[in-house]
Amino acid sequence: MPAPFSRDCQVGSTATASESPLPNVAAALRDKRKLKILAIGASPSAGRRSARGGHTGETKDILQQAIRGLDVEMINRGVSGELAAQAAIRIRNEVALHEPELVLWQVGTNDALIYVPLGELEQTIVETLRWLKERKVDVVLVGLQYVDRMAQDDHYRLVRELIRKIAAQENVIAVRRYEAQRLLAQAADSGGGLVPDEFQRSETGYVCLSQYLARAITLGVFGGNLRPRELQNLPPRPQN
Amino acid sequence: MIRQANAVDFWRGLALVMIFVNHIPGNYYGRFTHASYSISDSADLFVFLAGWALRHLVGTPERQPPTWYLVLRLGGRAVTLYAAQIMITMIALAMLASVAILRDNPLLLEWHNAAAVFHDPIPTHVGLAAITHQLGYFDILPLYVVLMVMAPGIAIVDRFAPNLLLPLSLLIYGITLAVPISIPTWPVDGQWFFNPLAWQLVFVLGFVMARPTGIGGVVRQHIVPIRIVALPILIGFVFVMRYGWWPDPTWFPQPRLFFLFDKTFVTPPRVIQFLALVAVISVAYPTIQRYGPRLVDFLSMLGRNSLYVFCVGSVLSLAGQILRYLYRGDIVIDTVVVIFGIAMMAVTAWLPEWRERVKGRPAPKLAPSS
Repeated sequence: MPAPFSRDCQVGSTATASESPLPNVAAALRDKRKLKILAIGASPSAGRRSARGGHTGETKDILQQAIRGLDVEMINRGVSGELAAQAAIRIRNEVALHEPELVLWQVGTNDALIYVPLGELEQTIVETLRWLKERKVDVVLVGLQYVDRMAQDDHYRLVRELIRKIAAQENVIAVRRYEAQRLLAQAADSGGGLVPDEFQRSETGYVCLSQYLARAITLGVFGGNLRPRELQNLPPRPQN
Repeated sequence: MIRQANAVDFWRGLALVMIFVNHIPGNYYGRFTHASYSISDSADLFVFLAGWALRHLVGTPERQPPTWYLVLRLGGRAVTLYAAQIMITMIALAMLASVAILRDNPLLLEWHNAAAVFHDPIPTHVGLAAITHQLGYFDILPLYVVLMVMAPGIAIVDRFAPNLLLPLSLLIYGITLAVPISIPTWPVDGQWFFNPLAWQLVFVLGFVMARPTGIGGVVRQHIVPIRIVALPILIGFVFVMRYGWWPDPTWFPQPRLFFLFDKTFVTPPRVIQFLALVAVISVAYPTIQRYGPRLVDFLSMLGRNSLYVFCVGSVLSLAGQILRYLYRGDIVIDTVVVIFGIAMMAVTAWLPEWRERVKGRPAPKLAPSS
């Protein structure tokens, strides 16, 4: 059964993730091994309830509830504000030290904000994904955040598209956080949401992110033929 | 009395300028700092020189201040550093919040580990006060605070069992890497970016090297052969850095931290490269002093006032990052930021020295009012 969504997060649920297999995570589950997840990149544990482990802690809880008998160890090595190039170096060391089955890599937002050249960013991400693949480590990419201010920014849009393109090309799951957060924002603007202020929406986005991540991982393990039951109860889609 | 320009202040001043430049990611001038060609960076130099400076405070075997004086003096220094850390962190948070409000962009609140301060303020403020929550690029002073808290212990061991100090430091370092022992952050789950249990080795190395006897004396006596050995090591690491000539980190045996390039644990390859760098570069100071006395005076002035300059430089580097975001950073913005930043650091260093100089002088006469 895929991990569930809370009511607040259902609005963005249709846009959460591309589906790709997570063979190494599936193998760990099959062998009843502890699942080690390395969370890295910009602010993977930032946000509300950080004292209880942030959204990575919530992702762990949701996964353990969704998959009976699953033992998850979440290794949090995120540095908020970190660029992809810096994270790429640390990923290699952290993988060598902890030997995780899965890396959750939140990437792109800060590179977009300081205008890292697209070619440089692409090379960094692709080389790292291939290095991880060679070492039998699955990856879930967490893409850019949505804020109204950046919606019109060309470079921000290009980075978002680049990450989607890389995910498709390299066959890795990309959690489409931008699209999900945009749906939440649109719902709020049309009066259907619970978080009218953009700063609060950013906070709520973290709560939903843990649910989207857990959903992406369960779908990556058990396959795309599982349809999320919550979709049947979705509220009316906001009009653009 | 303002002390004369010297090698320690000069190199410390240089480290401060490079830390300022390197703390603006994407900055064009970052490629001209040694961090682009070296595994170690200015942080290693800064901590090493802090250990070196501790030696001058502790004194020579012939002229040693009483232990209680050392404990009080170093404890006071730790409190000063702690206060500086809290102050620059609050300024940084205010800067991020201001720009986030002005630009209506909450993403700015997430820069440099700031997100938890805004989204989960109650425990995070406890963490800020306890320095268990640190902003990115504002994480070296917490290390320095811990090193200053450890400093009386280091000084006491050095006084009563000087030959034990470096082996003890190496033992703590080795255990920290072998286990490995992380220093956890709170409330955000993570680890200190600069692990004090590992970085104390660099501090102690500076301290023991500054001593004219013991290992410091041995190094001074054999500095020429040491430099001959160090030079190829240094050149080799330039190639490693530029072309990635280092085995894949997953190929190393356990405990792998001994073989990785890791800043958090200041791993052995990094320490070796740094010591080679110090051995080779230290030869340059007399030449620089001879042909560039103004540069030596300028950087020594920064080095003499390192805490003030570091604090202002940290805040200015964040301002530089914000400007790069606001104006799509390019070489023009970077040039303005670097020139203005170094000028402000110079003013920051000059001001306390000016106050020192005018102290005791009669106040200038006020012009008579009409």
